[in-house]
Amino acid sequence: MKQVSKYIFSLIGFVTVSLPVWAQQQRFPKPEFETGYQQPQPTVPDPRMLLMEYVDVFVLLVVLLLISWFALKKRSRSGIFWTSVFSLLYFGFYREGCICSVGSIQNVALAIFDPTYTIPLTALLFFLIPLVFALFTGRTFCAGACPLGAIQDIVILKPMELPKWLQKVLGFIPYLYLGLAVLYAATKSEFIICRYDPFVGIFRFDAEFQMFVLGGLFLLIGIFVARPYCRFFCPYGVLLGWMSKFSSKHLTITPAECIQCKLCVPSCPFGAIDEPIVEQGNRRKNVNRLITYVMLLPVWALIGGFAGSLVHVPLSKFNSNVYLAEQIIEHPELKNDPDNIDVRTFMTSGKTVDQLVEEAQQIRSQFYVGSWILGAFLGLVIGFSLIKLSTFRKRNDYVPDKVNCLSCGRCMDYCPVKKENSGFNPEVSGQNPN
Amino acid sequence: MNLQPNDKINIARKIAWLAAGFSVIICVLLIVNFIQSKSVNPIESETLKALVERLKSDPQNEALINEIRAFDLLARKAYFTSQWQLRTGGYLLLLGIIVTILSVRYVLSNKPKFGELEEIEKEPYLDSVLARKWIIYVGGSLFVLASVSGILSYNSLNAYQFSKSEVKTDEVVVETAQTSEEKIVEETTAAATQENIVPEEIMKAEPKTVAEEVKTETAAKTESSVFVASQKDLRANYPFFRGAEGNGIAWQTNVPTQWDGAAGTNILWKAKFPKRGFSSPIVWKNKVFITGADNAGREVYCYDLNSGKLLWTALADNIPGSPSKMPSVTADTGFAASTMATNGNSVFAIFATGDLLALDMDGKRLWAKNLGVPDNHYGHSSSLIIYKDKLLIQYDTNKGGKLIALSTASGAEMWTTVRKSKISWSSPVLVNTGNRMELILTTDPNVDSYDPETGKELWSVKCLMGEVGPSAAYSDGLVFAANEYATFAAIKPGSTPEIVWQTDEFLPEVASPLAVNGVVIIATSYGTVAAFDTADGTLLWEQEHSDGFYASPVYAAGNVYLIDMAGVCHIFKAGREFQLVAEPALGEKTVCAPVFADGKILIRGFDNLYCIGK
Amino acid sequence: MTDQKHSKTMQRRDFIQTGMRLTLALSLGGIGTMAALKTAKGDTVWQIDPFKCVQCGRCADYCVKTPSAVKCVHAYDLCGYCDLCGGYLKPDAIAQATGAENQLCPTAAIKRKFIEEPYFEYEIVEDLCIGCAKCVAGCTSFGNGSLHLQIRHDLCDNCNECAIARVCPADAISRVPASEPYKIKGDFTANNKDQTQSREE
Repeated sequence: MKQVSKYIFSLIGFVTVSLPVWAQQQRFPKPEFETGYQQPQPTVPDPRMLLMEYVDVFVLLVVLLLISWFALKKRSRSGIFWTSVFSLLYFGFYREGCICSVGSIQNVALAIFDPTYTIPLTALLFFLIPLVFALFTGRTFCAGACPLGAIQDIVILKPMELPKWLQKVLGFIPYLYLGLAVLYAATKSEFIICRYDPFVGIFRFDAEFQMFVLGGLFLLIGIFVARPYCRFFCPYGVLLGWMSKFSSKHLTITPAECIQCKLCVPSCPFGAIDEPIVEQGNRRKNVNRLITYVMLLPVWALIGGFAGSLVHVPLSKFNSNVYLAEQIIEHPELKNDPDNIDVRTFMTSGKTVDQLVEEAQQIRSQFYVGSWILGAFLGLVIGFSLIKLSTFRKRNDYVPDKVNCLSCGRCMDYCPVKKENSGFNPEVSGQNPN
Repeated sequence: MNLQPNDKINIARKIAWLAAGFSVIICVLLIVNFIQSKSVNPIESETLKALVERLKSDPQNEALINEIRAFDLLARKAYFTSQWQLRTGGYLLLLGIIVTILSVRYVLSNKPKFGELEEIEKEPYLDSVLARKWIIYVGGSLFVLASVSGILSYNSLNAYQFSKSEVKTDEVVVETAQTSEEKIVEETTAAATQENIVPEEIMKAEPKTVAEEVKTETAAKTESSVFVASQKDLRANYPFFRGAEGNGIAWQTNVPTQWDGAAGTNILWKAKFPKRGFSSPIVWKNKVFITGADNAGREVYCYDLNSGKLLWTALADNIPGSPSKMPSVTADTGFAASTMATNGNSVFAIFATGDLLALDMDGKRLWAKNLGVPDNHYGHSSSLIIYKDKLLIQYDTNKGGKLIALSTASGAEMWTTVRKSKISWSSPVLVNTGNRMELILTTDPNVDSYDPETGKELWSVKCLMGEVGPSAAYSDGLVFAANEYATFAAIKPGSTPEIVWQTDEFLPEVASPLAVNGVVIIATSYGTVAAFDTADGTLLWEQEHSDGFYASPVYAAGNVYLIDMAGVCHIFKAGREFQLVAEPALGEKTVCAPVFADGKILIRGFDNLYCIGK
Repeated sequence: MTDQKHSKTMQRRDFIQTGMRLTLALSLGGIGTMAALKTAKGDTVWQIDPFKCVQCGRCADYCVKTPSAVKCVHAYDLCGYCDLCGGYLKPDAIAQATGAENQLCPTAAIKRKFIEEPYFEYEIVEDLCIGCAKCVAGCTSFGNGSLHLQIRHDLCDNCNECAIARVCPADAISRVPASEPYKIKGDFTANNKDQTQSREE
């Protein structure tokens, strides 16, 4: 049916001469100017120089070397502190919290699982260097190179000790966070560590309101509970802890031999000093319990894996493709909703709902495998921490807990044994306040 | 000035309190500013919009214009000031906090103390027991929680039925037996020869074409599975806009001439379609296909010819390249102005968005594509036509014209001819000019003929102008083309085409001319019907009507059916003298020509589809 | 005896420590190599593909920077220098003039300059532009599409995960080599667009 209004429409200006490719883009041909007008070019400011990215790596290396030296050789708390202030200024406020080792976990996970992703060398170096350092010198990265740690370290004003059970339970969160971060990065869903970084907004003076509130809350809590993000959330801390546990060298509280003065115990705001211990309770019972827990380890892994496989459906809903597919299936009327930008864009993208659903199903099956592994991993973590809590190792001295010690060096200041080479000084031990 | 350590501590303490207070004030101010800028976004000001809206009704109001400008300036200033405030406030807050922390640290560092930590009682063994207990509790409940949320959450992806969701089949239609259908066709042709009312030249051409068709059909069958409808089948049905050739000639013989839409006389059924449109129905066997569309969606409907039951609806959605924003069309054209086409194996529909949809007879999508949104200020309205295995699309837009041939089987492009034409709203017409088939297109400024097989231009005559809506007509070796404000011309086709005669006494705006039995009939949008001698253009008769004509005249069983915009159908003999047969009324406004099936007529009103018959 | 036993225990512990350390070092090396196989020497930056962009306006709201690091860029090569500019004027503007009542841009970030009859040049004032894409939508629908969004690298923080890439409904934002950090229409059209098309096919 042809339907034409009554007026002849002036077609001037609508006439395009050349038809093929160009006509689709250029409705109005570029005029030929008679006045000698010079057409400007759009400006293209360059991104940050590549060299500067390597400068960041270099700065990281120097900072880590400095802290290792301060922690292991020089034994200077103030040295570590001022280095951390520098890191806060450089990696935090100057680099605005982005490039960061914590977030680089996700880049590495994505690089391993997504064949199309190429990881920038700097990101890989930021991931590897602190871990390598941790393997040799303990968590020196946490002590002074990490801006997130540094900003929390500064606000520790009135730290309180948390009961051990609470520390253990809260210490479980980083494993969960690490697992989820790897799962979401590997399925190309999103980078949750970066998205929910509470301090990056403070470094940038710019963030969503709720992220400022979160950052402020962490700092407020951080006055009383020392470095809450580092101890109870940081996923990178998990990896650093593993490395540090088997590190060849580590910060020591005392330069020589421990004199059991206990001075160092209240110096550590993180509760990371292991005190002397002798076995308690019934030896046989203890051994039996240990054996039971060891036997239960695979059970925990299986239970975790099973729970994980069940939870894959809700977990995958956070993937934007899966979410969109479910939205369209559950609310078919959205297909015609002009206000729903995502659905509208999808409908015009040329993809069919079939394709979208197929893709979403694929992602969901990835999530199935991923959450199975995540659940099993968490089960193992629980199993291992139960075993750890059931083992007993006799200890005579006050030593740092290599997993949780952040190498901040506070305890060194409190240790009355000063000179490493001067040997044991009996007079100092006399100052024991107890 | 010598300060005692105690004084220093006191000063530091005071500074700490001051800085803390300052930080809190700044923090509160920042939050207030933030909430304000979020709740009243000066950039998206409703007030400004309202003011501009008011200006539209009163464009000369200088005071209002000044008010708008002042308000706009204020709003933008407020926006950038609040940004500046937020940033400056951020710096001040940071400064305040740094000073607070420094002074607090100074105070603390001067306090005699034994350690930094506030210790609690510890008992390693009991602690371990407690920790184990809590880990089991928390770990266990985490897993339970995960399992429960996993079980409770619904995986709607599994509920999705692939591609079935595209077609809503209400009922599976049982095809009528092939034999009975064939019988009807035979009867029709027999009746046609008996009554001898079919225009001569078409009769002459027929045997040859049929033979050709049969040949191609068998060839096609052996070579590939591409379906080609025979001319016999096409003429037994009503497969395109304005009949089997698109020229307004219906081959049905047993057709009613009397009805009354308002009273329901001879109305077999009436169906209200879900979405409006100005496309005409097409008929194949006992199925009627029609399109409807609005801003929200584009749909193809299939009705049962006998019962009027809506058999299925197919949606033209999810088509690659389909625009997110609907092109702007006028209300009198809409998104569904183009009539569909069928070859008896599949049906094809096109919409003003450029979406082209191919469905099988049960509404299942065969293929779909977007031809690129046509730049058309009223809305695309050229109808589809099929030649053998090719779907031919006249695609004249403001950016130029194209004639596109797509494979009916796969939608693959077989050829595209770029036309030297401007925009048009007419439809292609297939004619047999004696020794070859030609596809005739009318546009501004040409009447063009193409080889429907290859898309090669055969000839072109420059005689039209303006916004061409009427399609061409053909009879006795002459092509007729007309448009309002242009001319009405009879063209002798061939390698050197010539205009045999032309007149500008009565010119149609929308309705196409109809040439039959030596007479060519014109229907104008102001209500005049005129008949001319095809040979020399002599005016034979003219009739005045109160309502204008948008629907084209159609020939069936010796009569011309011409329906006016009020819905009154003027049925008169197709002859050199005006002889009224009947003037039945539909009782609903319409701009669509009647469509013929055996013993039935289908007419699309504005809201309803009518099936007329005894 | 006890001393011997003690030293044995110590030896065993040392052995375990060293073994674990080696294992960790190896696994770290393994992960490192796996990732290193896919490293790019050069860096990458985020950029918008103007041919995928659907002008939804999220760039203005979701960028971690305020105002957004996404700005409108004018590819003068493609501009028709129209008097009736779909990117500059409201679709139903009363007059083709610079008055606030006619301007589409909410922050008046487009400067209209008369060149010669009947041509006008349109320039983006980047300090004012907030990346809302209103003009881009106007220019794409009614004009040549010479106005389009780009991430400006003097403003962009180059976050690890771009906040607007995450919410972009058209997946128009992706990482590009830092050596070719812009996809400005005109230069970008000819080859790259064809490449994307052929890939789709």
